[in-house]
Amino acid sequence: MRRKQNFWDEIQFIDRRWLYLVLGVFLVLGLNLKCAVSNVCAEEGKDFYATVMKVPEGGTVLIQSDWTTSTRGESQGHLESLLRILMTKRVKFLIYTFADPQAPQVWRNVIRVINEERESQNLPVYRPWVDYIDVGYFANAEGSSIAVRNDIRRFFSRQVKDDKGINRSIFESPVMTKINKVGDADLFVIVTASATLDVAVQRLSDRVNMAAMVTGVIGPTALTFYQSGQLKGVAIGLKGVYDTEYMMANGLNTPGPDGKIVVEYDRSEAPVPKITEGKTLARGASYIVALHFALGLVIFAVVVGNIAMFASRAANKGGKRR
Amino acid sequence: MMPWLAQADPRLNMWALPPYSPQLWIAVIATVLVGILLVFGLTFLPTNLRRPIVTVMTFLAGSFYVGLWLWPQPVAKVETDLPRDMVESVGFWFQDAQQALANVANILTAFLLLLGMYSLLRIHLGRISKKHPDRAFSVVLIISMFLIVIFGYADWRMRTFLDPQNLLELKTNWTIWNHGRDILFDGLLMQMDAAMFSLIAFFILSAAFRAFRIRSVEATVMMVSALILIISLMPLVIYQSEMLIKAWFPNPSPGSFNPENYKIGTIAGWVKSNLQTPSLRAVEFGVGLGALAMGLRLWLGLEKGGVSV
Repeated sequence: MRRKQNFWDEIQFIDRRWLYLVLGVFLVLGLNLKCAVSNVCAEEGKDFYATVMKVPEGGTVLIQSDWTTSTRGESQGHLESLLRILMTKRVKFLIYTFADPQAPQVWRNVIRVINEERESQNLPVYRPWVDYIDVGYFANAEGSSIAVRNDIRRFFSRQVKDDKGINRSIFESPVMTKINKVGDADLFVIVTASATLDVAVQRLSDRVNMAAMVTGVIGPTALTFYQSGQLKGVAIGLKGVYDTEYMMANGLNTPGPDGKIVVEYDRSEAPVPKITEGKTLARGASYIVALHFALGLVIFAVVVGNIAMFASRAANKGGKRR
Repeated sequence: MMPWLAQADPRLNMWALPPYSPQLWIAVIATVLVGILLVFGLTFLPTNLRRPIVTVMTFLAGSFYVGLWLWPQPVAKVETDLPRDMVESVGFWFQDAQQALANVANILTAFLLLLGMYSLLRIHLGRISKKHPDRAFSVVLIISMFLIVIFGYADWRMRTFLDPQNLLELKTNWTIWNHGRDILFDGLLMQMDAAMFSLIAFFILSAAFRAFRIRSVEATVMMVSALILIISLMPLVIYQSEMLIKAWFPNPSPGSFNPENYKIGTIAGWVKSNLQTPSLRAVEFGVGLGALAMGLRLWLGLEKGGVSV
């Protein structure tokens, strides 16, 4: 015969749809609450920002963008903040993927949206050929990474439209003229949600300065490469997006209006400037309240689940004694 | 033999023909014809000869990458560079050939996408023709696939051939084809993809409530470290806790209790640096050794399961 359930038993075996409803309500609330959240940036995130900000004006960055829509909550914020920094510093970039055929369309949307945003703010937009080169998708990450390491000019020896609509080699564009080997790029940034990070680091980290923007799932792996010095900096997950945006808004070792330094950076005494044009607090800032609610709810669920378990055990033992 | 293969004169190096050149087109057409003849010839081979051929091809392909890894390589070689001795000749050959092999590997991998499409069509057209109870889903899949292909191709064609000034970079210049692609890809596929992935959040919450229980010492250690790491992802909580510590210990005396060490961010950083990352590094070592062993078995033809023909 089935034992009569007490209150704590019922809490333990609550219908999961109630949990889903609570999470849904909390997320909707979090996404609609617009409030400034103070932040303590992660060390690896500060290194990432400092590394990107070191790229000189007019320099060239290689971006391997290996993410698609399934992780856009994190990766889109990563790519957007990276592009905003590069565009502000007038840094040129070559963008490609070794991971997924959908990835090019996803980054093209991001570039278009940021260009439209900049146009609405009367800022110069980024033009293909002149400011960036989009070479698309390559199916084999392992072989392609070795090829980039050995001879980047041969591997990317393809033609794209120039600003007059004539097909020309990408190495004739202002973006790539000074690139003879992969190490000539000022920085290599991989934005990824997959194990292409391992391949890129293993094949390229001894040839070019590398930094990464990865999802929370890939974060622990990225930290092993960061600790070994193969990655100069890492932005991890949604917190990494918010960290980057927060540093874009406040700089590192840079005094705010009240004269106080908002984000301190121990590795260098020199200030790393903040971003002075366009948007700084964007996607990360609009998701961070929802992240707090979701994580708070997870902690609450763990605590309540355990209290219910112990209370239920105690109640059942007491019942047996009687 | 290797210096001959290296073709020291760059004008004669078959791996280094300039892109879009007539010589390259001739080489490509000749290679395709030879490939077709070779595949046609292979179909006449007796079945018992297929396994040795696969094994030999695997060994040759693997040997190339082993050689590429071991042999000294030129750095930043340009087209006019000439090798001075046999070592450089072979290094040049390896590097030039590797680029071609990378392209071959890319093309072969891209063929898998085509194979995937063929497989999907075969299964779902079969379901429709056999009037399977769930055939409505198959119809939706096939219609969606063709719509995306048609609009995606039209969009690509317009951007590549009909838009020399890159006017289509701005949404205001789009035509119905660009909007169609945008609705299908960005409006539907992207949203559904993200929605599917977001379901994980609901499962995590349910699992946290039902399964994350303190039933042993190990589970307790795991829960405590998980809670610290979760809290470390909440900027507001870390910030407030740091402010609290600063208020409680405004002037910590050097050499005694250091409140800096008890900040949540510091503890989380310690857990990541001293527990999480070393454990993961050990796992990566294990995976690497396993991959090496498996690679050697495949390369040397010892792995029977990998060469089924």
